[in-house]
Amino acid sequence: MRRNSAVRASMCRLDVESAVKEVGQSIGDVLSSPRYVLGRGVKRKLVDCEDPVPDLPYPLQRQLVMDLCLDKLQSCHRRSEPSLHRSVLLANTLRQLQQEMRQEGGGLSPTLAAACPAHAAPATPRHTPDLPPVPSDCVLAEEALPSLTSCHDLIFGSFEITNSTSYLTDLAPDDIFDDIDTSMYDPSDFSVLAFPSLRVGSGAPSTNGEEGLKTFSSCSPSSALQHRLSDLNDLDQIMEILVRS
Amino acid sequence: MDWEYFGRVTVSSWGTGAGGNDVQWCFSQVKGAIDDDVAEADIISTVEFNHSGELLATGDKGGRVVIFQQETENKCQPLSRSEYNVYSTFQSHEPEFDYLKSLEIEEKINKIRWLPQKNAAQFLLSTNDKTIKLWKISERDKRPEGYNLKEEDGRYRDSTTITTLRVPVFRPMDLMVEASPRRIFANAHTYHINSISVNSDNETYLSADDLRINLWHLEITDRSFNIVDIKPANMEDLTEVITAAEFHPHQCNTFVYSSSKGTIRLCDMRASALCDRHSKLFEEPEDPSNRSFFSEIISSISDVKFSHSGRYMMTRDYLSVKIWDLNMENRPVETYQVHEYLRSKLCSLYENDCIFDKFECCWNGNDSVVMTGSYNNFFRMLDRSQRRDVTLEASRESSKPRQVLKPRRVCAGGKRKKDEISVDSLDFNKKILHTAWHPQENIIAVATTNNLYIFQEKVN
Repeated sequence: MRRNSAVRASMCRLDVESAVKEVGQSIGDVLSSPRYVLGRGVKRKLVDCEDPVPDLPYPLQRQLVMDLCLDKLQSCHRRSEPSLHRSVLLANTLRQLQQEMRQEGGGLSPTLAAACPAHAAPATPRHTPDLPPVPSDCVLAEEALPSLTSCHDLIFGSFEITNSTSYLTDLAPDDIFDDIDTSMYDPSDFSVLAFPSLRVGSGAPSTNGEEGLKTFSSCSPSSALQHRLSDLNDLDQIMEILVRS
Repeated sequence: MDWEYFGRVTVSSWGTGAGGNDVQWCFSQVKGAIDDDVAEADIISTVEFNHSGELLATGDKGGRVVIFQQETENKCQPLSRSEYNVYSTFQSHEPEFDYLKSLEIEEKINKIRWLPQKNAAQFLLSTNDKTIKLWKISERDKRPEGYNLKEEDGRYRDSTTITTLRVPVFRPMDLMVEASPRRIFANAHTYHINSISVNSDNETYLSADDLRINLWHLEITDRSFNIVDIKPANMEDLTEVITAAEFHPHQCNTFVYSSSKGTIRLCDMRASALCDRHSKLFEEPEDPSNRSFFSEIISSISDVKFSHSGRYMMTRDYLSVKIWDLNMENRPVETYQVHEYLRSKLCSLYENDCIFDKFECCWNGNDSVVMTGSYNNFFRMLDRSQRRDVTLEASRESSKPRQVLKPRRVCAGGKRKKDEISVDSLDFNKKILHTAWHPQENIIAVATTNNLYIFQEKVN
């Protein structure tokens, strides 16, 4: 839900007329300029409607847009209405800017690098994996460009709406059981419990009626079926009781 | 005014006449709360006339559907003022919870689409992010009376006291409008549903989410066919999403879907079961002089609508409306600037997220005028036949009965003239995303954040 307060076109930090003049004086003071001070009631003269962005040197414009991009991407999950569409557009914009910077190569002054505002470590959104921290001051250096690709899966992967009764059938069996110590059991033994095998994969949705644990049968490797009924009678009975209850 | 020849028209200046064959628009009604404190649940999220225009449905963020009905008192005077009054209100969707992701699935109604009327009842499809529902809206104006075994209030009579038998009869009662869910189409979408579209065969419909499009039969809820899937094998490679989809109004095998990269694909379901390969790809090459950091974001198409004739389709991106001839893929036949003065403000609009707003667009009944919304509660009427455009405003200030709407002008730069509003004074919180045009008459429904305005053509 958007902020209810009146949103004016002049809210962009790049819009602050008075700040533009200060940048010209000293790049090193950019951090302390009013531009980066949001919400402090910096008055701005009513001038013509031109966005002062063109007045800034292009690399600084690009850097500021990139900062905004990263901010938005990292706050994606904290929004009340997460949007895959928005995330994809942001990621594309970021990638495009990074590519542009890569093509230009390193060769930008260290003072400009120092001008990049430090990012607070992104707060871990609840229930989503940690986003890798984005190094703020090395965006201009080739090797330290934030790796967007590793973020993608984390960003995009959390947009799926799942049907909680069928999510387990869609996952590869190994993923969900990685942390469970199964050294005492042979997974192929569970196939003896003869659950019906389920359709796995995209396409027709599963019907609503399926209940009960389906994990064991869907994760047992069918190729490793071994008959150990006589040896594992007790275990079978225990498992049957546990699973069918 | 910028004109190009060979079938391409670009309208970028401000016309002075009213749009639509010299139609003057008057305020008719406004629905919704008056106070400025907007309850989130009341935010209107979709508006749709039915095929006859008699009914007007709105959906809101709270999952409710409100249907208005046009009064038919003065049928002998076709141009008389007719009002829309509440016909039915019901809760279509409830919030749900995805336990795996610990995310709430919003009950917000993303789209409503009416089915063509086949009998006395009306049917509509409404959808939230995950589930589509078919609702039957029926009238009841008679009730049976005179049961033998029951009293009128429902209590059972003592059978020993019954000495005669009578035949129950129907007696008139006050009109009751009932809405009941007839079908629930669930669990077919992993991503957020953005569009639904009923096929001209009246048997099937499509639903589209960010990455997939499914085809349903209206009678069958436990199965749907996936007809488009753009999900990459590796989500890291995802660069494009589906933003809207619609069936052709006459050809039941044809549909289009638009993308976040500004392309529209036309698909023919006869070609293959999975329409991953388009029959036509509509894309306009980017204008290099307008290139900016935000070029891709503003090229994302927020809505696509076929003309009633089926010959054209219209797309809406952030700054413009484009009309495409289905026979020409390499560029649109007409381009209209909605609010070009925002081009120099893109960075601000990017920072406050307005650049991601999804505006819809619509055609009038004879495809001569198109309409779309903007900020500051402005909306635009773009007259294709007269090459004129006008900006109007939906506001409480201009809501006296039958008050004619005055054209509005935005000052893009330089000295502001009288009656003009400067770009910096625009309220970007007041956006008109949803508009609808009556299929036959010059009656339009315009949704502001939580109010529905109905405007009609001025009758002399």
